Amino acid sequence: MPEPNVPVPAQVPPQPELPPCGPDEVALLIDGRPVVAKKGATVLQAAETIGVVVPHYCYHPGLSVAGNCRMCLVEIEKMPKLQIGCATQVAQGMSVKTTTARVKDTREGIMEFLLINHPLDCPICDQAGECRLQQYSATYGKGESRFVEEKIHHDKRIPIGERVTFDGERCIKCTRCVRFCDEVTRTSELTLVERGGHAIIDTFPGMALNNAYSGNTVDICPVGALTWKPFRFAARVWFLKNVPSICSACARGCSVDLAAYQNRVHRITPRHNPEVNGWWMCDFGRQTCAPVHDMPRLTRPIVRPAPGGPGGTTGGGAAPSMGEAVDQAAAALRAAASRHGAGTLAALVSARLTLEEMHLAKKTLAAAGIARIVVPPHEEGQDDELLIRKDRTPNGRGAALLGLGAPDAAAAAALAADVASGKVRGLIVLGEDPVGDGLVRAEGLRGLEALVVVDWWTSATVQAAHVALPSCGYGESEGVYVNCTGRAQRTRAAVRPVDLAEPAWSILREIGRRFGLAGAYASAPAIFAEIAATVPAFAGMTYRTIGEAGAQVGGA
Amino acid sequence: MAYEKLLLRNIHRDDSHTIDVYLANGGYQALRRVLKEVSPDQMLEEVKTSGLRGRGGAGFPAGMKWSFLPKTRDKPRYLCVNADESEPGTFKDRLLIEKDPHLVLEGIILSAYAIDCHTAFFYIRGEFHKGYRIFQRAIDEAYAKGLLGKNILGSRYSLDVLTYRGAGAYICGEETALLESLEGKRGLPRLKPPFPAIVGLYGCPTIINNVETLANVPYIAERGGAWFAGIGRPKNTGPKLFCLSGHVKRPGVYEAPLGTPFMELLNEHAGGMLHPDRPLKAAVPGGSSMKVLPASRCDVLLDFDSLAAAGTSLGSAGGMVMDSSTCMVGALLNLAEFYAHESCGQCTPCREGTGWFVKILRRLETGEGRPEDPDLLLDVARRVEGNTICPFGEAVAWPVSSYVKEFRSEFDDHVTRKACPFGAASVR
Repeated sequence: MPEPNVPVPAQVPPQPELPPCGPDEVALLIDGRPVVAKKGATVLQAAETIGVVVPHYCYHPGLSVAGNCRMCLVEIEKMPKLQIGCATQVAQGMSVKTTTARVKDTREGIMEFLLINHPLDCPICDQAGECRLQQYSATYGKGESRFVEEKIHHDKRIPIGERVTFDGERCIKCTRCVRFCDEVTRTSELTLVERGGHAIIDTFPGMALNNAYSGNTVDICPVGALTWKPFRFAARVWFLKNVPSICSACARGCSVDLAAYQNRVHRITPRHNPEVNGWWMCDFGRQTCAPVHDMPRLTRPIVRPAPGGPGGTTGGGAAPSMGEAVDQAAAALRAAASRHGAGTLAALVSARLTLEEMHLAKKTLAAAGIARIVVPPHEEGQDDELLIRKDRTPNGRGAALLGLGAPDAAAAAALAADVASGKVRGLIVLGEDPVGDGLVRAEGLRGLEALVVVDWWTSATVQAAHVALPSCGYGESEGVYVNCTGRAQRTRAAVRPVDLAEPAWSILREIGRRFGLAGAYASAPAIFAEIAATVPAFAGMTYRTIGEAGAQVGGA
Repeated sequence: MAYEKLLLRNIHRDDSHTIDVYLANGGYQALRRVLKEVSPDQMLEEVKTSGLRGRGGAGFPAGMKWSFLPKTRDKPRYLCVNADESEPGTFKDRLLIEKDPHLVLEGIILSAYAIDCHTAFFYIRGEFHKGYRIFQRAIDEAYAKGLLGKNILGSRYSLDVLTYRGAGAYICGEETALLESLEGKRGLPRLKPPFPAIVGLYGCPTIINNVETLANVPYIAERGGAWFAGIGRPKNTGPKLFCLSGHVKRPGVYEAPLGTPFMELLNEHAGGMLHPDRPLKAAVPGGSSMKVLPASRCDVLLDFDSLAAAGTSLGSAGGMVMDSSTCMVGALLNLAEFYAHESCGQCTPCREGTGWFVKILRRLETGEGRPEDPDLLLDVARRVEGNTICPFGEAVAWPVSSYVKEFRSEFDDHVTRKACPFGAASVR
């Protein structure tokens, strides 16, 4: 095998002046424009800082450099060969050119190479619309191929993992997925096998791409080779509206985009946030867009007869309006209190509620004279080394900061016992399913004279409720969560609430009003303003300052 | 003055591969002396003085390469011997490994001593079963005689040599792919920089040398760098093994000084053309990865700089000779199939380009070529060359572009006649 001949470098033309730079920086020129970059930065990264795009497939900022796609080849003065921008480090006085005829010609060549064995099945490919091959073909390609031969064939629709499908023909062997599994999850399921044009991604014998973060390989796949099974053929990506939000599946609160079309969230993908999740999210969180559409929703209020209370309206009678149902809820709680004393009332409040909902819960419960407030924990497994937290609630920290109390298993068990023994006669359940979760048995609720439940689906507890009020599901309303590191982050609405469902804060406000609660509480941001004004940890914060990246709460 | 054979001095002796025969003929005397009288730095200087250039293909001065090692000693240094000889038409290292393994081993020990390395790896091509057995036996013999291991020959210098067998990939002869393979991974070339002398095997400073390169070192140690530099031509010093195959009477490995005329190698060493009625048509003096020369330009000297001036390279000196019966399209197709099979598949231009060459050439050779195909070959070759991670890109682009350029009319003939004028015997 030869070493290439090294031609004599061309004469250097006079250079524009370089800007001054610090000891850890170097000054260079990119397309004639002066740039100051950190020592050790790559040409590609330095170019990015001044808005110069160096096209690339295999480079990903969250992974090691592979340098295999060759799309980022640029011209660097005094270097006879083109250099890859992803691996070449900046140097003082370096002059990089990204738009010369030679660079453009090379990119055309790389595009042609990448496409000769690519099936060009864009019309049926889920990646179409967000495919680097498409994007770069349009921008850097020649628009035609000179390849007239039979393409190399590979297997398609390979179930490479439980949640990920692999198409060997679309793959461009950038190895992003391989590096992700090697470097991020360190599970190393994937490798390149075979050689030359027959090279292909595969799992090691006996392995499958089933790690808890496998969906990220789909996100970082620059082409349609890896697809997320639940999203396959679900929607064309150009119809999707991406709403920046956060995941609610655990206390991490990864930044995500909710991709909605026709009032359905079809996909959740991680949104880069170096303070929270970097580039990644777990597969579990990714799948939380389905229940809100697929689980049996509580779409309208339900009122059932309570012992000693007013008659129910389900079954024979006309369905109650939200207002009528709230009246019945307030009346049932009031009746139980008057018969057994306010001390027999209690509330089970979920750490899945937003800060705004918790705040209104606090206000309303105080107005109704309900002093016993329990936040049950939801833990599963262990914290992993990457993102997943065993605390499966998105706002446990927020509950503690608002004074509702941190999630407490003992308090939850004590409440359950008191409900079963009849010590508690009136219970308001906010976003919890104590029956479904096994905290209490349905029979144990028979002693209750008032069971008011606010939830988004027809849980076992909802089915036992005297009054059930439909709240918004995930992605239907906005609010703020505080994650495990004390970062306040906004969750947002990507779709309209189903049927009569309302944000829980709105339902709670209405119940509160029946007990004399004053205040407009017209919107989540307005409620948050009151939280910021009254709770020191949130002092000075607004939706605007939280923004899309979140903000650390005071003292966190 | 008759040329004194050095590298092939022992190969015709009975049992030349055994340590007894090697010792009986003066073997390991240079090592004995160096360990007693010469410091590592002096040994390195001697190699620098010799002007010894790497025999693996790149022709990089060995002493200079060694001096790129960092001066710090916070990590171990490794010497990797590249015995993954896989270039079509190159079979010189195999001869040394099988017939004079102790010459190679003495060179390894001396070189490791010069760079203060205490672990050397002998990466041998997987298909070299016999070579592996012989070399492993040579290592065992050397350990038994105190020539390897702790305190070699009573000195304070210790060295272990480990053999590692490749798994059958040509690319593992590329030095960084060799390192990956040696680390137990898929043999994919690494990005450079960093160069192996800085970040090599297991992240440690590493020198990789070809078998033949190291086989020269005992002579440099024995007779001095200045003596070595007197052999051959300026900047192209020392003895060289030249392989010759193809349409010659006596294909084989021949030793001659660098700078020997190619026609002398062909006519005097290899006995001339195989068939008297079929004259020389073309030759690749350096090996299959190098540019082809038409007969009219074969009057060249066989050394690094002369061949570079002639528009080709010495490479691994795996010369191939083609007579007038050769179809250049078919010959190139044969080569292209090899490179398409051996491309590691890592980077785009090589992975995709190598297969494309085959498809175009097969079409031409079977009479289905299009008028634009020769130009297409040149353009694809141009887009592969210089744009790949490792020199494999050139190894295929150079033959493709040179065969088409030098024998353009033959390619065009295939198109216009809609058939191979030579009968398409080479199409599989």
